[in-house]
Amino acid sequence: MLPGSGSVSAGLSAELSSGTSCRRGSILYGMDTDVAVRAEELTKFYGSRRGIEGLDLEVRSGEVMGFLGPNGAGKTTTIRLLLDFLRPTRGRATVLGMNPRRDKELLHQRIGYLPGELSFPGRESAADLLRFFAAARGGVGWARVTALAERLELDLSRPVRAMSKGNKQKVGLVQAFMHEPALLVLDEPTSGLDPLMQQEFLAMVREARAAGQTVFMSSHVLAEVQQVADRVAIVRDGRLAAVERVESLGRRAVRVVEIHFDDPVTVDEFTGLPGVSDVVVEGPVLRCTVDGRLSPLVKAAARHEVVDLLSAEPDLEETFLSYYYHAEGAGDAVRTGA
Amino acid sequence: MQYALVRKTWRDDRRSLLGWAVGVAAFVTIYVGFYPQFQGTAAVKDDALPQGFADFVGIQNMTTPAGYLEATVYSLIGPLLLIMCGVLLAARTIARPEEEGAMELLLAVPLSRSAFARQRLAAAGVAVTAVAAIPWLLVTALAAGLDIDVPFRNIAAASVGLIALVWCFSGIAFLIGAATGRRGQVVAITGAVAVATYLLRALSGMIDGAGWLRWLTPFHYFTGADPLRTGFHWGNIAVLVAIAMVTCVAGIVLFERRDVGV
Repeated sequence: MLPGSGSVSAGLSAELSSGTSCRRGSILYGMDTDVAVRAEELTKFYGSRRGIEGLDLEVRSGEVMGFLGPNGAGKTTTIRLLLDFLRPTRGRATVLGMNPRRDKELLHQRIGYLPGELSFPGRESAADLLRFFAAARGGVGWARVTALAERLELDLSRPVRAMSKGNKQKVGLVQAFMHEPALLVLDEPTSGLDPLMQQEFLAMVREARAAGQTVFMSSHVLAEVQQVADRVAIVRDGRLAAVERVESLGRRAVRVVEIHFDDPVTVDEFTGLPGVSDVVVEGPVLRCTVDGRLSPLVKAAARHEVVDLLSAEPDLEETFLSYYYHAEGAGDAVRTGA
Repeated sequence: MQYALVRKTWRDDRRSLLGWAVGVAAFVTIYVGFYPQFQGTAAVKDDALPQGFADFVGIQNMTTPAGYLEATVYSLIGPLLLIMCGVLLAARTIARPEEEGAMELLLAVPLSRSAFARQRLAAAGVAVTAVAAIPWLLVTALAAGLDIDVPFRNIAAASVGLIALVWCFSGIAFLIGAATGRRGQVVAITGAVAVATYLLRALSGMIDGAGWLRWLTPFHYFTGADPLRTGFHWGNIAVLVAIAMVTCVAGIVLFERRDVGV
Protein backbone atom coordinates (compact mmCIF):
# COMPACT_ATOMS: atom_id res chain seq x y z
CA MET A 1 0.00 0.00 0.00
CA LEU A 2 2.95 2.35 0.32
CA PRO A 3 2.46 4.91 -2.40
CA GLY A 4 5.03 7.11 -3.92
CA SER A 5 7.85 4.63 -3.77
CA GLY A 6 8.99 3.85 -7.26
CA SER A 7 6.22 5.85 -8.86
CA VAL A 8 8.18 9.05 -8.89
CA SER A 9 11.40 9.90 -10.60
CA ALA A 10 14.29 10.86 -8.41
CA GLY A 11 13.60 14.56 -8.98
CA LEU A 12 12.62 16.15 -5.71
CA SER A 13 11.31 19.65 -5.66
CA ALA A 14 11.35 19.90 -9.44
CA GLU A 15 7.98 18.17 -9.47
CA LEU A 16 6.45 20.87 -7.39
CA SER A 17 5.65 23.44 -9.98
CA SER A 18 2.56 21.44 -10.82
CA GLY A 19 1.79 20.90 -7.16
CA THR A 20 -0.67 23.76 -6.86
CA SER A 21 -3.37 21.65 -8.38
CA CYS A 22 -2.95 19.00 -5.67
CA ARG A 23 -5.86 19.06 -3.30
CA ARG A 24 -7.09 15.77 -1.99
CA GLY A 25 -7.49 12.37 -3.53
CA SER A 26 -5.42 9.54 -2.27
CA ILE A 27 -3.56 9.03 -5.54
CA LEU A 28 -1.73 12.25 -4.98
CA TYR A 29 -0.53 11.61 -1.45
CA GLY A 30 3.21 11.75 -1.06
CA MET A 31 3.82 12.03 -4.75
CA ASP A 32 6.23 14.92 -4.54
CA THR A 33 9.10 12.80 -3.40
CA ASP A 34 9.91 9.56 -1.64
CA VAL A 35 10.91 11.52 1.40
CA ALA A 36 8.15 13.40 3.22
CA VAL A 37 10.39 15.15 5.74
CA ARG A 38 14.11 15.68 5.51
CA ALA A 39 16.14 17.49 8.14
CA GLU A 40 19.77 18.29 7.42
CA GLU A 41 21.97 19.49 10.26
CA LEU A 42 18.80 21.12 11.59
CA THR A 43 19.73 23.24 14.59
CA LYS A 44 17.85 25.69 16.75
CA PHE A 45 19.22 27.65 19.66
CA TYR A 46 17.14 30.03 21.74
CA GLY A 47 19.88 32.44 22.64
CA SER A 48 22.34 30.10 24.31
CA ARG A 49 19.72 27.51 25.22
CA ARG A 50 19.67 24.52 22.92
CA GLY A 51 16.46 23.39 21.28
CA ILE A 52 17.75 20.82 18.82
CA GLU A 53 21.23 20.41 17.42
CA GLY A 54 22.52 18.85 14.21
CA LEU A 55 19.42 16.82 13.46
CA ASP A 56 19.69 14.64 10.37
CA LEU A 57 16.48 12.76 9.75
CA GLU A 58 14.37 11.38 6.94
CA VAL A 59 10.72 10.45 7.16
CA ARG A 60 9.72 8.42 4.12
CA SER A 61 6.50 9.03 2.29
CA GLY A 62 3.74 6.79 3.52
CA GLU A 63 5.35 5.71 6.76
CA VAL A 64 4.43 6.37 10.36
CA MET A 65 7.40 7.66 12.25
CA GLY A 66 7.38 8.03 15.99
CA PHE A 67 9.46 10.84 17.37
CA LEU A 68 10.42 9.88 20.86
CA GLY A 69 12.22 11.55 23.66
CA PRO A 70 11.85 12.74 27.21
CA ASN A 71 10.25 16.14 27.83
CA GLY A 72 12.61 18.93 26.87
CA ALA A 73 14.57 16.77 24.44
CA GLY A 74 13.78 19.00 21.46
CA LYS A 75 10.77 17.28 19.90
CA THR A 76 8.48 20.31 19.84
CA THR A 77 11.30 22.56 18.64
CA THR A 78 11.86 20.22 15.71
CA ILE A 79 8.18 20.15 14.84
CA ARG A 80 7.92 23.94 15.00
CA LEU A 81 10.89 24.21 12.68
CA LEU A 82 9.17 21.92 10.17
CA LEU A 83 6.08 24.15 10.24
CA ASP A 84 8.06 27.39 9.92
CA PHE A 85 6.96 28.80 13.27
CA LEU A 86 10.65 28.82 14.16
CA ARG A 87 13.55 29.54 11.87
CA PRO A 88 16.61 27.30 12.12
CA THR A 89 19.85 28.64 13.55
CA ARG A 90 21.69 26.30 11.17
CA GLY A 91 20.83 23.59 8.71
CA ARG A 92 17.57 23.17 6.89
CA ALA A 93 14.38 21.22 6.62
CA THR A 94 12.54 20.08 3.52
CA VAL A 95 8.91 19.05 3.91
CA LEU A 96 7.03 17.30 1.09
CA GLY A 97 9.88 18.47 -1.10
CA MET A 98 9.22 22.08 -0.17
CA ASN A 99 10.89 24.84 1.78
CA PRO A 100 8.82 25.42 4.93
CA ARG A 101 9.28 29.19 4.78
CA ARG A 102 9.09 29.93 1.08
CA ASP A 103 6.30 27.46 0.36
CA LYS A 104 4.36 27.88 3.59
CA GLU A 105 1.04 28.55 1.88
CA LEU A 106 0.98 25.41 -0.26
CA LEU A 107 2.68 23.30 2.37
CA HIS A 108 0.20 24.09 5.12
CA GLN A 109 -2.61 23.15 2.77
CA ARG A 110 -1.14 19.67 2.75
CA ILE A 111 -0.14 19.31 6.38
CA GLY A 112 -2.39 18.39 9.28
CA TYR A 113 -0.86 19.79 12.42
CA LEU A 114 -1.70 19.15 16.05
CA PRO A 115 0.20 21.45 18.44
CA GLY A 116 1.57 20.05 21.67
CA GLU A 117 0.20 22.95 23.70
CA LEU A 118 -3.37 23.23 22.50
CA SER A 119 -5.05 26.58 22.83
CA PHE A 120 -7.83 27.64 20.52
CA PRO A 121 -8.50 31.11 19.15
CA GLY A 122 -11.92 32.54 19.89
CA ARG A 123 -14.97 31.56 21.92
CA GLU A 124 -17.12 29.80 19.37
CA SER A 125 -18.44 26.25 19.33
CA ALA A 126 -16.28 23.41 18.08
CA ALA A 127 -18.44 23.25 14.95
CA ASP A 128 -17.88 26.93 14.11
CA LEU A 129 -14.17 26.67 14.81
CA LEU A 130 -13.88 23.63 12.55
CA ARG A 131 -15.89 25.44 9.85
CA PHE A 132 -13.25 28.16 9.98
CA PHE A 133 -10.42 25.64 9.57
CA ALA A 134 -12.35 24.01 6.72
CA ALA A 135 -12.91 27.32 4.93
CA ALA A 136 -9.33 28.45 5.48
CA ARG A 137 -8.08 25.26 3.85
CA GLY A 138 -10.23 25.77 0.80
CA GLY A 139 -13.22 23.70 1.86
CA VAL A 140 -13.54 20.32 3.55
CA GLY A 141 -16.56 18.04 3.27
CA TRP A 142 -18.60 18.55 6.43
CA ALA A 143 -19.54 14.87 6.48
CA ARG A 144 -15.88 14.08 6.99
CA VAL A 145 -15.79 16.37 10.03
CA THR A 146 -18.90 14.93 11.63
CA ALA A 147 -17.67 11.40 10.96
CA LEU A 148 -14.42 12.12 12.79
CA ALA A 149 -16.27 13.82 15.65
CA GLU A 150 -18.63 10.88 15.99
CA ARG A 151 -15.74 8.48 16.01
CA LEU A 152 -14.03 10.37 18.80
CA GLU A 153 -17.34 10.91 20.62
CA LEU A 154 -16.98 14.65 20.43
CA ASP A 155 -19.93 17.01 20.87
CA LEU A 156 -19.42 19.73 18.27
CA SER A 157 -22.09 22.06 19.60
CA ARG A 158 -20.19 22.97 22.76
CA PRO A 159 -17.83 25.96 22.97
CA VAL A 160 -14.23 24.82 22.78
CA ARG A 161 -13.16 27.09 25.64
CA ALA A 162 -15.44 25.24 28.06
CA MET A 163 -14.21 21.78 27.07
CA SER A 164 -12.08 19.42 29.13
CA LYS A 165 -8.50 18.80 28.10
CA GLY A 166 -9.44 15.49 26.51
CA ASN A 167 -12.22 17.01 24.43
CA LYS A 168 -9.99 19.88 23.32
CA GLN A 169 -7.49 17.27 22.21
CA LYS A 170 -10.23 15.65 20.14
CA VAL A 171 -11.04 18.98 18.45
CA GLY A 172 -7.32 19.29 17.71
CA LEU A 173 -7.27 15.82 16.18
CA VAL A 174 -10.36 16.46 14.06
CA GLN A 175 -8.86 19.63 12.59
CA ALA A 176 -5.58 17.84 11.88
CA PHE A 177 -7.20 14.87 10.11
CA MET A 178 -10.20 16.51 8.46
CA HIS A 179 -8.64 17.68 5.19
CA GLU A 180 -6.92 14.32 4.64
CA PRO A 181 -3.48 15.93 4.42
CA ALA A 182 -0.52 14.26 2.77
CA LEU A 183 1.47 14.70 5.99
CA LEU A 184 0.25 14.62 9.57
CA VAL A 185 2.52 16.27 12.12
CA LEU A 186 1.22 15.44 15.57
CA ASP A 187 2.84 16.67 18.76
CA GLU A 188 1.95 14.41 21.70
CA PRO A 189 -1.35 13.40 20.06
CA THR A 190 -2.65 11.15 22.82
CA SER A 191 -2.13 13.52 25.72
CA GLY A 192 -5.36 13.91 27.66
CA LEU A 193 -7.15 11.09 25.84
CA ASP A 194 -8.56 8.18 27.81
CA PRO A 195 -7.29 4.68 26.88
CA LEU A 196 -10.28 3.88 24.68
CA MET A 197 -9.83 7.07 22.68
CA GLN A 198 -6.10 6.45 22.47
CA GLN A 199 -6.88 3.17 20.72
CA GLU A 200 -9.32 4.96 18.41
CA PHE A 201 -6.62 7.49 17.59
CA LEU A 202 -4.11 4.74 16.85
CA ALA A 203 -6.67 3.19 14.49
CA MET A 204 -7.00 6.55 12.73
CA VAL A 205 -3.24 6.65 12.28
CA ARG A 206 -3.24 3.15 10.80
CA GLU A 207 -5.99 4.15 8.38
CA ALA A 208 -4.08 7.27 7.42
CA ARG A 209 -1.08 5.13 6.57
CA ALA A 210 -3.27 2.73 4.59
CA ALA A 211 -4.54 5.73 2.62
CA GLY A 212 -0.96 6.68 1.81
CA GLN A 213 -0.61 9.58 4.24
CA THR A 214 2.63 10.11 6.11
CA VAL A 215 2.53 10.50 9.88
CA PHE A 216 5.20 12.08 12.04
CA MET A 217 4.16 11.93 15.68
CA SER A 218 6.00 12.81 18.83
CA SER A 219 5.53 11.08 22.12
CA HIS A 220 7.26 10.32 25.34
CA VAL A 221 5.50 6.99 25.69
CA LEU A 222 7.30 4.20 23.87
CA ALA A 223 4.44 1.71 24.09
CA GLU A 224 1.92 3.80 22.15
CA VAL A 225 4.38 4.57 19.39
CA GLN A 226 5.34 0.91 19.17
CA GLN A 227 1.75 0.05 18.35
CA VAL A 228 1.56 2.09 15.14
CA ALA A 229 4.94 3.31 14.02
CA ASP A 230 7.10 1.79 11.32
CA ARG A 231 10.18 3.50 12.68
CA VAL A 232 11.05 5.57 15.66
CA ALA A 233 13.53 8.40 15.94
CA ILE A 234 14.79 8.93 19.45
CA VAL A 235 16.08 12.29 20.66
CA ARG A 236 17.85 13.03 23.92
CA ASP A 237 19.25 16.32 25.13
CA GLY A 238 18.66 18.03 21.81
CA ARG A 239 20.38 15.39 19.71
CA LEU A 240 19.23 12.42 17.67
CA ALA A 241 20.15 9.29 19.63
CA ALA A 242 18.93 6.66 17.20
CA VAL A 243 16.55 5.80 14.40
CA GLU A 244 15.24 2.26 14.66
CA ARG A 245 12.71 0.07 12.93
CA VAL A 246 10.05 -0.74 15.48
CA GLU A 247 10.57 -4.49 15.03
CA SER A 248 14.17 -4.16 16.13
CA LEU A 249 13.00 -2.59 19.34
CA GLY A 250 10.90 -5.72 19.40
CA ARG A 251 8.94 -6.75 22.38
CA ARG A 252 11.93 -6.07 24.56
CA ALA A 253 9.83 -4.04 26.84
CA VAL A 254 11.81 -3.13 29.90
CA ARG A 255 9.79 -3.17 33.08
CA VAL A 256 10.34 -2.25 36.66
CA VAL A 257 8.99 -5.07 38.83
CA GLU A 258 8.28 -5.00 42.53
CA ILE A 259 7.33 -8.18 44.40
CA HIS A 260 6.05 -8.32 47.98
CA PHE A 261 6.63 -11.62 49.78
CA ASP A 262 5.32 -12.97 53.07
CA ASP A 263 8.84 -13.52 54.38
CA PRO A 264 12.18 -11.84 53.76
CA VAL A 265 14.10 -13.08 50.71
CA THR A 266 17.77 -12.85 49.74
CA VAL A 267 19.33 -11.04 46.80
CA ASP A 268 21.26 -14.12 45.67
CA GLU A 269 18.14 -16.03 44.68
CA PHE A 270 17.30 -13.44 42.04
CA THR A 271 20.60 -12.19 40.69
CA GLY A 272 21.79 -13.89 37.55
CA LEU A 273 18.31 -14.71 36.26
CA PRO A 274 18.06 -14.04 32.50
CA GLY A 275 16.99 -10.46 31.80
CA VAL A 276 16.83 -9.50 35.46
CA SER A 277 19.03 -6.71 36.76
CA ASP A 278 19.23 -3.95 39.36
CA VAL A 279 18.02 -6.34 42.04
CA VAL A 280 17.38 -4.68 45.39
CA VAL A 281 15.90 -6.48 48.37
CA GLU A 282 14.55 -4.76 51.46
CA GLY A 283 13.22 -7.43 53.83
CA PRO A 284 10.24 -9.03 52.10
CA VAL A 285 10.22 -6.57 49.17
CA LEU A 286 12.14 -7.16 45.96
CA ARG A 287 12.69 -4.53 43.29
CA CYS A 288 14.35 -5.18 39.96
CA THR A 289 14.38 -4.36 36.26
CA VAL A 290 13.31 -7.02 33.81
CA ASP A 291 14.27 -6.91 30.17
CA GLY A 292 12.28 -9.42 28.15
CA ARG A 293 10.01 -12.12 29.53
CA LEU A 294 8.93 -12.26 33.12
CA SER A 295 8.87 -16.03 33.55
CA PRO A 296 12.39 -16.57 34.93
CA LEU A 297 11.63 -14.06 37.65
CA VAL A 298 8.12 -15.37 38.28
CA LYS A 299 9.38 -18.95 38.54
CA ALA A 300 12.02 -17.93 41.03
CA ALA A 301 9.50 -15.92 43.01
CA ALA A 302 7.01 -18.79 43.10
CA ARG A 303 9.28 -20.60 45.55
CA HIS A 304 7.98 -18.12 48.14
CA GLU A 305 4.54 -16.88 49.14
CA VAL A 306 3.89 -13.92 46.83
CA VAL A 307 1.63 -11.26 48.32
CA ASP A 308 1.71 -8.76 45.53
CA LEU A 309 3.38 -8.21 42.17
CA LEU A 310 3.64 -4.80 40.58
CA SER A 311 4.96 -4.26 37.10
CA ALA A 312 5.31 -0.88 35.46
CA GLU A 313 6.82 0.41 32.28
CA PRO A 314 9.63 2.71 33.28
CA ASP A 315 9.72 6.23 31.89
CA LEU A 316 11.32 6.70 28.56
CA GLU A 317 14.60 7.97 29.93
CA GLU A 318 15.02 4.71 31.79
CA THR A 319 14.13 2.71 28.72
CA PHE A 320 16.74 4.53 26.70
CA LEU A 321 19.38 4.13 29.33
CA SER A 322 18.65 0.48 29.51
CA TYR A 323 18.55 0.14 25.75
CA TYR A 324 21.65 2.08 24.95
CA TYR A 325 23.97 1.55 27.82
CA HIS A 326 23.13 -1.27 30.03
CA ALA A 327 22.10 -3.73 27.32
CA GLU A 328 25.19 -2.91 25.28
CA GLY A 329 27.45 -5.59 26.73
CA ALA A 330 24.89 -8.15 27.73
CA GLY A 331 22.85 -7.45 24.62
CA ASP A 332 23.20 -10.85 23.02
CA ALA A 333 22.53 -12.81 26.13
CA VAL A 334 19.47 -10.74 26.88
CA ARG A 335 18.15 -11.15 23.36
CA THR A 336 18.46 -14.93 23.63
CA GLY A 337 16.74 -14.82 26.96
CA ALA A 338 13.90 -12.85 25.47
CA MET B 1 -12.46 30.90 1.23
CA GLN B 2 -9.65 33.33 0.76
CA TYR B 3 -10.81 35.64 3.51
CA ALA B 4 -11.77 33.06 6.10
CA LEU B 5 -9.20 34.53 8.47
CA VAL B 6 -10.65 38.03 8.12
CA ARG B 7 -14.13 36.75 8.98
CA LYS B 8 -12.76 34.73 11.88
CA THR B 9 -10.97 37.82 13.22
CA TRP B 10 -14.17 39.85 13.11
CA ARG B 11 -16.13 37.07 14.78
CA ASP B 12 -13.59 36.77 17.58
CA ASP B 13 -13.56 40.55 18.06
CA ARG B 14 -17.28 41.16 17.76
CA ARG B 15 -18.07 41.53 21.48
CA SER B 16 -15.22 43.91 21.97
CA LEU B 17 -16.19 45.84 18.83
CA LEU B 18 -19.79 46.13 19.88
CA GLY B 19 -18.70 47.40 23.30
CA TRP B 20 -16.46 50.05 21.79
CA ALA B 21 -19.08 51.13 19.27
CA VAL B 22 -21.73 51.54 21.96
CA GLY B 23 -19.32 53.33 24.29
CA VAL B 24 -18.11 55.79 21.67
CA ALA B 25 -21.64 56.45 20.42
CA ALA B 26 -22.90 57.08 23.95
CA PHE B 27 -20.00 59.39 24.71
CA VAL B 28 -20.55 61.50 21.59
CA THR B 29 -24.31 61.63 21.97
CA ILE B 30 -24.25 62.65 25.62
CA TYR B 31 -21.55 65.29 25.27
CA VAL B 32 -22.78 66.86 22.03
CA GLY B 33 -26.41 66.46 23.07
CA PHE B 34 -25.74 68.71 26.03
CA TYR B 35 -25.22 71.67 23.67
CA PRO B 36 -28.67 73.35 24.08
CA GLN B 37 -28.39 73.44 27.88
CA PHE B 38 -24.82 74.59 27.66
CA GLN B 39 -25.70 77.57 25.48
CA GLY B 40 -27.61 79.22 28.36
CA THR B 41 -24.68 79.09 30.74
CA ALA B 42 -21.94 79.41 28.22
CA ALA B 43 -20.48 82.64 29.43
CA VAL B 44 -20.17 81.35 32.97
CA LYS B 45 -18.62 78.08 31.79
CA ASP B 46 -16.08 79.83 29.67
CA ASP B 47 -14.91 81.97 32.55
CA ALA B 48 -14.90 78.97 34.87
CA LEU B 49 -12.41 77.11 32.72
CA PRO B 50 -8.87 78.30 33.57
CA GLN B 51 -7.11 79.59 30.46
CA GLY B 52 -4.06 77.45 31.15
CA PHE B 53 -6.12 74.27 31.13
CA ALA B 54 -7.99 75.31 28.02
CA ASP B 55 -4.69 75.86 26.22
CA PHE B 56 -3.35 72.59 27.52
CA VAL B 57 -6.15 70.46 26.10
CA GLY B 58 -6.34 72.61 22.99
CA ILE B 59 -9.68 74.33 23.48
CA GLN B 60 -9.90 77.77 21.98
CA ASN B 61 -13.28 79.20 22.78
CA MET B 62 -15.97 76.96 24.14
CA THR B 63 -18.75 79.43 23.56
CA THR B 64 -18.51 79.17 19.79
CA PRO B 65 -20.13 76.09 18.18
CA ALA B 66 -16.79 74.92 16.77
CA GLY B 67 -15.13 75.48 20.14
CA TYR B 68 -17.84 73.45 21.82
CA LEU B 69 -17.38 70.46 19.51
CA GLU B 70 -13.64 70.75 19.89
CA ALA B 71 -13.85 70.82 23.68
CA THR B 72 -16.27 67.94 23.98
CA VAL B 73 -15.38 65.47 21.21
CA TYR B 74 -12.15 66.32 19.44
CA SER B 75 -9.68 67.55 22.03
CA LEU B 76 -9.17 64.99 24.77
CA ILE B 77 -11.65 62.25 25.53
CA GLY B 78 -12.64 61.41 21.95
CA PRO B 79 -9.09 60.82 20.71
CA LEU B 80 -8.20 59.07 23.97
CA LEU B 81 -11.10 56.61 23.73
CA LEU B 82 -10.56 55.86 20.07
CA ILE B 83 -6.79 55.48 20.41
CA MET B 84 -7.37 52.98 23.22
CA CYS B 85 -9.80 51.09 21.02
CA GLY B 86 -7.34 51.06 18.11
CA VAL B 87 -4.42 49.95 20.27
CA LEU B 88 -6.36 47.11 21.90
CA LEU B 89 -7.73 45.85 18.60
CA ALA B 90 -4.28 46.05 17.04
CA ALA B 91 -2.91 44.06 19.98
CA ARG B 92 -5.43 41.33 19.17
CA THR B 93 -4.08 40.76 15.67
CA ILE B 94 -0.86 39.00 16.64
CA ALA B 95 0.30 39.68 20.20
CA ARG B 96 -2.75 38.38 22.01
CA PRO B 97 -3.16 35.00 20.26
CA GLU B 98 0.59 34.52 20.47
CA GLU B 99 0.64 35.16 24.20
CA GLU B 100 -2.37 32.92 24.76
CA GLY B 101 -0.79 30.08 22.78
CA ALA B 102 -3.52 30.10 20.15
CA MET B 103 -1.21 31.39 17.44
CA GLU B 104 0.01 28.04 16.16
CA LEU B 105 -3.42 26.89 15.04
CA LEU B 106 -4.15 30.27 13.45
CA LEU B 107 -0.80 30.41 11.74
CA ALA B 108 -1.23 26.85 10.45
CA VAL B 109 -3.84 28.06 7.97
CA PRO B 110 -2.50 27.91 4.42
CA LEU B 111 -1.36 31.51 4.11
CA SER B 112 2.14 32.88 3.87
CA ARG B 113 3.35 34.70 6.98
CA SER B 114 2.89 38.09 5.38
CA ALA B 115 -0.53 37.20 3.95
CA PHE B 116 -1.52 36.10 7.44
CA ALA B 117 -0.37 39.40 8.94
CA ARG B 118 -2.07 41.37 6.15
CA GLN B 119 -5.41 39.63 6.68
CA ARG B 120 -5.29 40.13 10.44
CA LEU B 121 -4.34 43.76 9.90
CA ALA B 122 -7.03 44.33 7.28
CA ALA B 123 -9.70 42.88 9.56
CA ALA B 124 -8.60 45.01 12.51
CA GLY B 125 -8.16 48.07 10.29
CA VAL B 126 -11.71 47.92 8.98
CA ALA B 127 -13.05 47.41 12.50
CA VAL B 128 -11.04 50.30 13.96
CA THR B 129 -12.08 52.58 11.10
CA ALA B 130 -15.73 51.71 11.61
CA VAL B 131 -15.57 52.61 15.31
CA ALA B 132 -13.52 55.74 14.62
CA ALA B 133 -16.09 56.90 12.05
CA ILE B 134 -18.90 56.91 14.61
CA PRO B 135 -18.15 60.48 15.85
CA TRP B 136 -18.29 61.73 12.26
CA LEU B 137 -21.77 60.31 11.69
CA LEU B 138 -23.15 61.27 15.09
CA VAL B 139 -21.67 64.75 15.26
CA THR B 140 -23.00 65.48 11.77
CA ALA B 141 -26.47 64.23 12.71
CA LEU B 142 -26.51 66.00 16.09
CA ALA B 143 -25.16 69.25 14.63
CA ALA B 144 -28.02 69.24 12.15
CA GLY B 145 -30.59 68.41 14.80
CA LEU B 146 -29.36 70.81 17.48
CA ASP B 147 -28.46 73.74 15.24
CA ILE B 148 -24.77 73.60 16.04
CA ASP B 149 -23.48 76.03 13.47
CA VAL B 150 -20.41 74.28 12.09
CA PRO B 151 -20.23 73.41 8.35
CA PHE B 152 -20.54 69.68 7.63
CA ARG B 153 -17.38 69.91 5.62
CA ASN B 154 -15.45 71.09 8.67
CA ILE B 155 -16.96 68.35 10.84
CA ALA B 156 -15.85 65.91 8.14
CA ALA B 157 -12.36 67.42 8.16
CA ALA B 158 -11.95 67.04 11.92
CA SER B 159 -13.50 63.56 11.88
CA VAL B 160 -11.34 62.29 9.05
CA GLY B 161 -8.35 63.69 10.94
CA LEU B 162 -9.52 61.75 13.99
CA ILE B 163 -9.71 58.54 11.97
CA ALA B 164 -6.21 59.19 10.60
CA LEU B 165 -4.92 59.84 14.13
CA VAL B 166 -6.39 56.52 15.30
CA TRP B 167 -4.81 54.76 12.30
CA CYS B 168 -1.47 56.29 13.23
CA PHE B 169 -1.50 54.91 16.79
CA SER B 170 -3.06 51.61 15.73
CA GLY B 171 -0.20 51.25 13.25
CA ILE B 172 2.35 51.83 15.99
CA ALA B 173 0.54 49.26 18.16
CA PHE B 174 0.47 46.76 15.30
CA LEU B 175 4.19 47.24 14.69
CA ILE B 176 5.08 46.55 18.32
CA GLY B 177 2.77 43.54 18.52
CA ALA B 178 4.03 42.07 15.25
CA ALA B 179 7.64 42.58 16.28
CA THR B 180 7.42 41.35 19.88
CA GLY B 181 4.30 39.23 20.24
CA ARG B 182 3.75 40.74 23.68
CA ARG B 183 0.46 42.43 24.48
CA GLY B 184 1.85 44.19 27.54
CA GLN B 185 4.51 45.86 25.43
CA VAL B 186 1.95 46.95 22.84
CA VAL B 187 -0.17 48.72 25.43
CA ALA B 188 2.72 50.10 27.46
CA ILE B 189 4.80 51.45 24.58
CA THR B 190 1.95 52.80 22.46
CA GLY B 191 0.34 54.30 25.56
CA ALA B 192 3.60 56.00 26.52
CA VAL B 193 4.05 57.36 23.00
CA ALA B 194 0.47 58.68 22.98
CA VAL B 195 0.80 60.43 26.34
CA ALA B 196 4.24 61.82 25.54
CA THR B 197 3.22 63.21 22.16
CA TYR B 198 0.02 64.65 23.62
CA LEU B 199 2.05 66.49 26.25
CA LEU B 200 4.51 67.58 23.59
CA ARG B 201 1.73 69.20 21.56
CA ALA B 202 0.56 71.07 24.65
CA LEU B 203 4.05 72.12 25.72
CA SER B 204 5.06 73.23 22.25
CA GLY B 205 2.35 75.88 22.43
CA MET B 206 3.05 76.97 26.00
CA ILE B 207 6.81 77.32 26.10
CA ASP B 208 8.46 80.12 24.15
CA GLY B 209 10.83 78.93 21.49
CA ALA B 210 9.53 75.33 21.70
CA GLY B 211 7.06 75.77 18.88
CA TRP B 212 9.06 73.55 16.52
CA LEU B 213 8.35 70.58 18.82
CA ARG B 214 4.81 70.44 17.46
CA TRP B 215 6.08 68.93 14.22
CA LEU B 216 7.04 65.84 16.18
CA THR B 217 3.61 65.00 17.49
CA PRO B 218 0.74 63.28 15.66
CA PHE B 219 -1.74 65.41 17.61
CA HIS B 220 -0.48 68.51 15.82
CA TYR B 221 -1.34 66.97 12.46
CA PHE B 222 -4.78 66.15 13.81
CA THR B 223 -5.95 69.52 15.22
CA GLY B 224 -3.01 71.86 14.70
CA ALA B 225 -4.56 73.48 11.63
CA ASP B 226 -7.94 73.83 13.34
CA PRO B 227 -10.08 71.77 10.95
CA LEU B 228 -13.37 72.61 12.68
CA ARG B 229 -12.89 76.24 11.66
CA THR B 230 -10.76 75.95 8.55
CA GLY B 231 -11.71 72.63 6.95
CA PHE B 232 -9.50 69.99 5.32
CA HIS B 233 -5.72 70.11 5.45
CA TRP B 234 -4.78 67.13 3.37
CA GLY B 235 -1.07 67.46 4.04
CA ASN B 236 -1.62 66.94 7.76
CA ILE B 237 -3.90 63.96 7.21
CA ALA B 238 -1.35 62.52 4.79
CA VAL B 239 1.35 62.65 7.49
CA LEU B 240 -0.81 60.59 9.86
CA VAL B 241 -1.75 58.09 7.15
CA ALA B 242 1.90 57.81 6.14
CA ILE B 243 2.94 56.98 9.72
CA ALA B 244 0.22 54.31 9.82
CA MET B 245 1.34 52.80 6.54
CA VAL B 246 5.03 52.77 7.40
CA THR B 247 4.44 51.16 10.80
CA CYS B 248 2.14 48.54 9.29
CA VAL B 249 4.59 47.60 6.56
CA ALA B 250 7.42 47.48 9.11
CA GLY B 251 5.27 45.25 11.33
CA ILE B 252 4.57 42.82 8.49
CA VAL B 253 8.25 42.67 7.55
CA LEU B 254 9.39 42.05 11.13
CA PHE B 255 6.69 39.43 11.73
CA GLU B 256 7.71 37.65 8.54
CA ARG B 257 11.28 37.35 9.85
CA ARG B 258 10.97 36.27 13.42
CA ASP B 259 10.26 33.10 15.41
CA VAL B 260 6.67 32.83 16.54
CA GLY B 261 5.49 31.58 19.91
CA VAL B 262 8.89 31.00 21.48
